[in-house]
Amino acid sequence: MADDSLASHRRDPIKSSVGNVAAQRRRQNAATVGKERRESLVRAKRLCRVGATGEGDVLVEENHMMTDEEGFLLEDQTSSAVKELKSAVVYQGKGAMQKRVNALRELRRLLSKSEFPPVEAALKAGAIPLLVQCLSFGSPDEQLLEAAWCLTNIAAGKPEETKALLPALPLLIAHLGEKSSLPVAEQCAWALGNVAGEGEELRKVLLSQGALPPLARMVLPNKGSTVRTAAWALSNLIKGPDPKAATELIKVDGVLDAILRHLRKSDEELATEVAWVVVYLSALSNFATGVLVKSDALQPLVERLATSNSLQLLIPVLRSLGNLVAGDSHTTSTVLIPGHEITDGVIKVLVKCLKSDHRVLKKEASWVLSNIAAGSIEHKQLIYSSEAVPLLLRLLSTAPFDIRKEVAYVLGNLCVAPATGEGKPDLIKENLVSLVQRGCLSGFIDLVRSADIEAARLGLQFTELVLRGMPNGDGPKLVEQEDGIDAMERYQFHENEDLRNMANGLVDKYFGEDYGVNE
Amino acid sequence: MAMVVDYKHDSSFPYWTSIRRRFDPDSPFFSSGNLERELLAKQVALDLTEDERNQLEKMIDNDARGVFCPIVGCGARLTSLEDFEDHYIARHTASCSVCSRVYPTSRLLSIHVSEAHDSFFQAKVARGYAMYECLVEGCDLKFKNYKGRQQHLVDKHKFPTSFEFFNKAHPSKKKRLKNQQKRRMHKKDEEASSKMEVENETIDGLVSAVSKLSTSDSSPSNISFGRRNARGLTFVPRSIHAPREKK
Repeated sequence: MADDSLASHRRDPIKSSVGNVAAQRRRQNAATVGKERRESLVRAKRLCRVGATGEGDVLVEENHMMTDEEGFLLEDQTSSAVKELKSAVVYQGKGAMQKRVNALRELRRLLSKSEFPPVEAALKAGAIPLLVQCLSFGSPDEQLLEAAWCLTNIAAGKPEETKALLPALPLLIAHLGEKSSLPVAEQCAWALGNVAGEGEELRKVLLSQGALPPLARMVLPNKGSTVRTAAWALSNLIKGPDPKAATELIKVDGVLDAILRHLRKSDEELATEVAWVVVYLSALSNFATGVLVKSDALQPLVERLATSNSLQLLIPVLRSLGNLVAGDSHTTSTVLIPGHEITDGVIKVLVKCLKSDHRVLKKEASWVLSNIAAGSIEHKQLIYSSEAVPLLLRLLSTAPFDIRKEVAYVLGNLCVAPATGEGKPDLIKENLVSLVQRGCLSGFIDLVRSADIEAARLGLQFTELVLRGMPNGDGPKLVEQEDGIDAMERYQFHENEDLRNMANGLVDKYFGEDYGVNE
Repeated sequence: MAMVVDYKHDSSFPYWTSIRRRFDPDSPFFSSGNLERELLAKQVALDLTEDERNQLEKMIDNDARGVFCPIVGCGARLTSLEDFEDHYIARHTASCSVCSRVYPTSRLLSIHVSEAHDSFFQAKVARGYAMYECLVEGCDLKFKNYKGRQQHLVDKHKFPTSFEFFNKAHPSKKKRLKNQQKRRMHKKDEEASSKMEVENETIDGLVSAVSKLSTSDSSPSNISFGRRNARGLTFVPRSIHAPREKK
């Protein structure tokens, strides 16, 4: 095994009389490691284990739970490596450059070993100022690369650690320029991506220091790992909540073109990162949304949804589509015109998502359908007559809660005509009757029984449609059959006043004293 | 405003309107997709158990941290929405050991027992004491007869006019007809009909289930929400047996 310097130091004392204490500490360690591990999993930051040029310690065990011993050892080595770097930086004599690169390389290896690199030790030993020095203009590529790599991994962990990179930011941004070698630019982009992924404050700093334009230019080429890394970093940089960065990005010369090109032609990995950029563009910036819709961005999105099976790619592509539909009424009214090929294509891929095994796809596809179903009567009929409805009906009774809620929105929207702004919206009786006959009422009554306010509201609203709209006064009977009265009566002691009033109002109106008497 | 809203005209019902819904990128709506992104990028997605996934979701989404039971006075923490139904059935369907009627809180069950099964209660009523307490915790008003309390519930607390304290189950058609007749007969009557006639009264839900959260429960007493003060059972009629636990 490569790099077994740790193994050679492993000693048996762990099994000796202090075994109990050590075991206890290991258990505690496991709990903290568990928490640390969970935190590291959800972060929008990425550790660099294999460098831009392909080198790196790929043979290191994944999920290797370090013993205390190993942990202390690593910290010691790190402190020494930083000390070594310090003297290398100061040294002016022969072979100074090589000395510096070697010291950097050693530190970089220590910082790339495990899932939890010894960042604290490195910071304590004073690594940052030294690394900043190593980034100075005119330094050889190898030196820049190793320094940026170290900074990348220092920034990949806890918030305080990422914030420690502040002094290095201007230089990292500077090395994104077109004069830099690609591997160097990529490694700097990676470090900046981690910084941007930390939070709003650091994003603001980066934007004020001019990180956006050079990073944007890095996605213009057709391919390469640099493009992918830069796209990922951009997605972190523009994620807001301030929409300014998103709007600025779409305005950069050539970016819109590049985005569409990548969505259309690039490999799935690259398309995935670009799709996340589109997610944030379409969620935050109305301007960007308009530009994207007008430039026919829907087409490549639909194409990807139709042809790809990679969940990693499907999630951001679906969401981009959803954001474009949700964010701009023009999408539904001018692009997704019923009868046009693109519209059929959209419905088809949404149906494909409904059929998938993945919870996120089912939920967000339902959301998109609900927004299309909030369009014109023709849109509603288009969905109503598609393959979507039987799938939705099944999901309404069997899917997890969050999916059922979205499905409820679709089905309800299919039964109600577009709002005219006056009084209650008209019912689309045929759709309501048909859906109820196909058994959707029990799913809605289930939502009435839910502890989730929004779901309960939906359930009650749909129940009202049934009570009001079913012909021959069948509504109340049907609702009673599904234990709807029981479900509504639960609200008499519910703490939410709106729901109470809604439920009480329905019970009063439709199940009052005269209910069931004249049969 | 002293206006009583007339729910029969449901002018305030928020009808279903079909509108577009948009979410911010940091909305909880997107959090499971965001989590999936990070897990897939780190290539650990397949190695996680359902449990671990739930833990991770809870870290990034406040909503996923669980919900509280919305029944007044309960406040129980539910680990997930799916648990609510079980919780409701276990804790809010307190049944009377005498007549099996079901109520959502122990307080209501105990009120029911007093009113329906306790001769001492009836005796006091007959002597003119205001024995019918308002069903809303914290209100503390008492009334001399059932109808008076009923009116108070509708007027002051906006209960549905069709609300009946007694039965939890909605009466069958036969019973409804019977009630219709009874109501017509009693229209002129100020007093409610004899309280011992348990069968004929149809009080839905409200007081019907003096909750399962009775004193014999091993769990701690209710914590009430908002401005209402927690009240223990102040009067436990002798006819109460240890309520049947429904698991």
